Amino acid sequence: MSERVMSAPTSPDDALAGALTAEYAAIWAYGPIGVRLTGTQRKAAVEAEAAHRTRRDALVVQLSNSGGTVPPDRAGYTLPFPVTDKASALRLAVEVEERTAAFWRAALPASTGAERDRALAALVEYAVRATRWRREAGITPLTVPFPGRPG
Amino acid sequence: MVLTCPVAMGRTTTRRDEPSPLSRRTVLRAGALLALGGAAAPLTGCGLFDREDPPTPDPLAPLVEESLRLAAGLRAAATAHPDLSARLVPLAEAHEAHATELTRVIGTPAPSGTATPTASPSSGPPADQATTLTALRKAERAGRDTATQACAAAPAERAALLGSIAAARATHLEALR
Repeated sequence: MSERVMSAPTSPDDALAGALTAEYAAIWAYGPIGVRLTGTQRKAAVEAEAAHRTRRDALVVQLSNSGGTVPPDRAGYTLPFPVTDKASALRLAVEVEERTAAFWRAALPASTGAERDRALAALVEYAVRATRWRREAGITPLTVPFPGRPG
Repeated sequence: MVLTCPVAMGRTTTRRDEPSPLSRRTVLRAGALLALGGAAAPLTGCGLFDREDPPTPDPLAPLVEESLRLAAGLRAAATAHPDLSARLVPLAEAHEAHATELTRVIGTPAPSGTATPTASPSSGPPADQATTLTALRKAERAGRDTATQACAAAPAERAALLGSIAAARATHLEALR
């Protein structure tokens, strides 16, 4: 369906730059998410944010080394909906993981070898994290048929 | 078809004309072997009936079967444990959607029927829930690894779909905990 759109040839650097902007936004979003959570959920949010920071750092290095453009981080990002309580924080966490997963999925066709392995590892990790957040949020089903696929 | 034979026959003839230490029986046995070879040659050696390009199965074909097998395993478990069906059926549906999408990408008709027989060969008493879930997790883990390898080896136009399938199977593993 929208498969062809996603498979449109993208340069590897463009795909990675897209993933980097997604990582920036994810890191930013975990700020408001974290403050609405407590206990194990807050711990999970901290871990998730750390994972996004690690990938952000790796992407900045990789794009710099390849001579690509490193897109700048922004001071703030528009959230898809206001985060006012635990429930909306958990829903946003699901959204964040699923959106970043989509950018890494888009990087798969543009990459080969170890680079593709890394993109796939990110897609899989974020998809699994989205499922965990869905469970915490009480969203069913816990999974989507094609993680990262738009629409 | 006869074309291959004279060569062999000729060789037999010249050898027989030479003053040879071979016994008549040995020569006859050799002749019998050559005759067999002559009969087999037109089928294998001539190339007249060889297919130009024997159809090589698409590397994704086993993934279609695996998807249907995983789906069938989940559906069988949902039948055996109705209280698990709300959890299991969406996972089965995802595998079936994967099989459909893979089949579309391969461009050949879907394998006929469902994979139910291969997925539930054991017709013994149904396993308890914990055992069932453990077996399902094991199957999803193996499936995740298959799809991960397929994604790594795939051409660009198939990488995204296979990545999604690997990720989906990994999320199933999580959902079955």
